[in-house]
Amino acid sequence: MARNRKNEAAGVRFGPAIKAVLLCLFIATAAIGFVWQKSQIGALGKEIKERELKLGELRRQNDLRSRQLALMCSPPTIDARVRELQLGLVPMQPGQIVRMVELPYDGVQVTMERPVASAVRGGANNP
Amino acid sequence: MVMSVPFRRLLTLALLLVTAFCALGYRLVDLQVLRHEELRDLAKNNTHRKINFEPKRGEIRDVRGNLLATSVFVKTVCADPTLLGAHAPAVARAIAPLLEVNESELLARLQPRLRTNELGVLVTNRYVVLKRKVKVETWQSIVDTMEDLKLPVDEKALTKAERGFYRNLRTKAIFPDVVDDQLRIYPNESLAAHVLGYVGTGEREVDGEKVIETTGIEGIERVLNAKLGGVRGWRMTETDRARRELVAYREQEIQAKDGLNVVLTIDAGIQHIVETELAEAMKKHTPISASAIVVRPRTGEILAMATLPTFNPNDPGASQEAHRRNRIITDLSEPGSTFKIVVVSGALNERLVTLDDRFDCERGNFYYAGKLLRDHHAYGVLSVEEIITFSSNIGSAKIAFKMGEQGLYDYVKAFGFGERTGIPLTGEVRGIVHPVKNWNKLSISRIPMGHEIASTPLQMVMAMSAIANKGKLMRPMMVDRLEDSQGHAVVKYQPQMVRQAVSEAAAREMVTALKTVVSDKGTAAKAMLDYYTVAGKTGTAQKPPYAPGMYFSSFIGFFPADNPELCISVVLDEPKNGYYGGTTAAPFFHGIAERSASYLNLRPEKPVPDQQFTTTTNQKSKSGLLAARRH
Repeated sequence: MARNRKNEAAGVRFGPAIKAVLLCLFIATAAIGFVWQKSQIGALGKEIKERELKLGELRRQNDLRSRQLALMCSPPTIDARVRELQLGLVPMQPGQIVRMVELPYDGVQVTMERPVASAVRGGANNP
Repeated sequence: MVMSVPFRRLLTLALLLVTAFCALGYRLVDLQVLRHEELRDLAKNNTHRKINFEPKRGEIRDVRGNLLATSVFVKTVCADPTLLGAHAPAVARAIAPLLEVNESELLARLQPRLRTNELGVLVTNRYVVLKRKVKVETWQSIVDTMEDLKLPVDEKALTKAERGFYRNLRTKAIFPDVVDDQLRIYPNESLAAHVLGYVGTGEREVDGEKVIETTGIEGIERVLNAKLGGVRGWRMTETDRARRELVAYREQEIQAKDGLNVVLTIDAGIQHIVETELAEAMKKHTPISASAIVVRPRTGEILAMATLPTFNPNDPGASQEAHRRNRIITDLSEPGSTFKIVVVSGALNERLVTLDDRFDCERGNFYYAGKLLRDHHAYGVLSVEEIITFSSNIGSAKIAFKMGEQGLYDYVKAFGFGERTGIPLTGEVRGIVHPVKNWNKLSISRIPMGHEIASTPLQMVMAMSAIANKGKLMRPMMVDRLEDSQGHAVVKYQPQMVRQAVSEAAAREMVTALKTVVSDKGTAAKAMLDYYTVAGKTGTAQKPPYAPGMYFSSFIGFFPADNPELCISVVLDEPKNGYYGGTTAAPFFHGIAERSASYLNLRPEKPVPDQQFTTTTNQKSKSGLLAARRH
């Protein structure tokens, strides 16, 4: 007579097997996760380092350009350049300056005064 | 009992295993307990690293934000001679031009040297400094050169170990120091060199490590060294076998705090005007030195301070020591007739005289205490105003007699003579003012004309500024503010009044008298300006040993006279081709004042003729934007 193996001691017991498989899976997943995480940390660390180097280089370039700009804007350089290019630029003359005079009535009224000499002669209000 | 053979074997095996485990256990205890400290330190040394971060030295800017001094990070290029083998000559030949050093000298440094260390072990040098302060761009060229270095070997035919040697030679034999150094750059070279000063490099020990430090030696660089220097930072981290940083294992990180930026009251535009005018003065009169200061009398702000001959702070060692001295604050001289402002304003303040009071100037020869006191012209009776206009020595001496010795001394001190002005620069001297008890009989007749007393040009210009500023003596201001690296103001300095030297009324009367000096009849007609009234005083003092031709010529003036914006002093030490302050220094005052007024867009006091807005051909100057407009 055929025996039902399910009910025998030697029969395959799925419960523990599944548990073992799950445990193995968990351990394997945890191990893979750990390694992946470590690899990610390493990769991100490398990326941080690269970006820090890039930032340092950009700062250096920025400094270099700031220096170049400062040099180009410095009065001695501008003066020398004007001479070199013979642009014919001269300091502005007092008569070439238009001064804005605020009159003390009707709120803030602004008029343009030119030439300066007329204001001085006529004793106009100083701003 | 006799044991069976299998049991004996089993026992033997067990004993062996127990012994092995005991040995391993002992080793474990030895490593983890007995040698714990030693091995922990060893492991730490292998992996743990402390990386120092150098703070960037603060910048120095002028009041308009123009850059006057800045720092860049540079490399210290080093070599490991043990990695070069027989290829040192090839390496020296390749990198000597980049480092700008002599090839044979470089080759000598690349040779391995043996020495016995403190433990008595024979070691070879693996760290040789080839050059300091190498720019990053140059370092990059060195790296490229080393990578492309052509050596007389076929590297493909070599063994793995030999290839490793050549790989190390190219990548590791020449290397930069781990800590970056800094190079101070003054982009405008000699502009305001005496104000800025210069820096030097020193070595300091920090936590047992030697670090290279940039320190101010002179000028603002020295006075504000602590503010400019910043605070060092560090990072505790771990590295792998190849000494690459493992970012994930960073433990502690303190960022370096950059030094504060210093914003000066100096205006680079006016400084440039002053220096170009002084250069002309040097050319025309060939004095030993020419100095000038531009001060804003209301606040005591110094807009320009220059002394020629000057130096380039990028390379201070290339100039003579005398050229690096800021003569405006370190050199003493008898001020001469400019000092008459002290005695006359003192007498006006005490109401001992008025501008209209008259004094007999003895036709230019006056015997006092058995000695002759002279005027340069035979003046008769002059008013107090005329004594200033014509700069009469006899007249000013007679005014001093009215004040008395103590009275005169008090005003000399009130104007700040005999004490430091407090300018934030190194090397300022007090000047010489003898106490009344040490005066001789002649002193009261000599001090009013600026003899028997010694002052610096700065003291003299601050005294004149006090007259311009309604009698208020101000402390000279050189630093406007301190800023952090983002440009936020951290400290803002305010003008400081030292004392009210004379009353406002006395100062106003003094200005009236000083205006006559800069007129057709006065001694400084050449200082007159087209659109502004100028008040000022000339000075021509003989220098010890009072030989002919040894004069100290000066002119100090301010304008617009009744509402002064600028007070300017020009001093020439031993000028040739003339020696009167009115003929040598005053024309350069004129040049500086006119160009500065145009640059600062000062409102003209006097009528201005209408001019076209477009520049005509005749107006075009060959001398540039900031150039002088001579009439």
